[in-house]
Amino acid sequence: MDKEADFVELIKANEGILFKITTVYTDNGADQQDLYQDIVYQLWKSFDSFRNESKISTWMYRVAMNTALTQVRSKKRSGHSVSIEKMVLKQTDSYDPQWETRLQLLYKYIHRLNVLEKGLMLLLLEGKKYDEIAEITGLSPSNVGTRISRIKQKLKSQLTNTN
Amino acid sequence: MELEELQATWTQLSTALEQQKIVTNEIILKMTQQRYSNKFSKITFYETIGSLICFAMAGYIIVHFSSLTTWYLQLSGILCLAFLIVLPILVLRALKRIQNLAIKDANYTDMIIRFTKAKKHLLFLQRLGIYLAFLFFLAVMPVYSMISKGEDIFLNYQASVWYIPIVGAFLFFFGRWGYGCYKGITNSAETILKELES
Repeated sequence: MDKEADFVELIKANEGILFKITTVYTDNGADQQDLYQDIVYQLWKSFDSFRNESKISTWMYRVAMNTALTQVRSKKRSGHSVSIEKMVLKQTDSYDPQWETRLQLLYKYIHRLNVLEKGLMLLLLEGKKYDEIAEITGLSPSNVGTRISRIKQKLKSQLTNTN
Repeated sequence: MELEELQATWTQLSTALEQQKIVTNEIILKMTQQRYSNKFSKITFYETIGSLICFAMAGYIIVHFSSLTTWYLQLSGILCLAFLIVLPILVLRALKRIQNLAIKDANYTDMIIRFTKAKKHLLFLQRLGIYLAFLFFLAVMPVYSMISKGEDIFLNYQASVWYIPIVGAFLFFFGRWGYGCYKGITNSAETILKELES
């Protein structure tokens, strides 16, 4: 299998990661698709430099989140609102409207966070350990811990207010 | 909603995403289209430059056509003009046809059939070009000699006859090399299309 085929396989296998990152950092379908394409392009550009020194997923998160941050900063987005359009996944037999509502609420919370916090929250939700989050974001593990504690506090107060 | 619920909702999202393809297929198709087209863009660039040179040469012959005073020189001139004008147009058209093959809009079998036809046509034109280049060389020598020096080499062919094996050998090797490049590019483009099936 050549390099291009390897890359396509990699993207196909990890499209869930890309979908979640693009959803967190954008607020409509068109922007999401733009960001998705941009991330795939950046991953392709840096594919040669990936030398298996870190896990594939770590490398993908790092490139994807850096691309997302660059795009968000260049567009100076703030105060995201959550559009329904991007939430609706292809409905299957197991489609659960209650889950859809919870997911929208989750995105609403995430979009209230600043750009760095969004990334940390996403990685936390993905079940990443502090060490790996540090490797992806370039922060120190202790800094990651501090920031995540703050995010949790922020979320708790939001959740309390909602409840 | 509690933090644990947020985590559970996210996990459910991850599971749902695993089960379906969202936009990747479309993007991969776009990337494939781009990779496929890029295979031909370099050769199209060189063919375009080559065509412009051919057209310039044809213009030169047309402007000086009145210098070709005998019927055989005029016939040589017409053969040269046909080679310099028609063949580049046909090659550029064939390249455009194969380069613009719409990957997204056709089903896989149709796409491969259209590609194979376009590839055969392009390679046929290349082979034709190589054979005609020998004929062109024989035709352009007297035309050039008459236009630039006023000499009719049909009347004094001994002076120029030693050119023939040298240029013939050059055309042979250059033609083989050029044809090999075309085959390599079309095979490589075919591989990209075949990846779509897997």
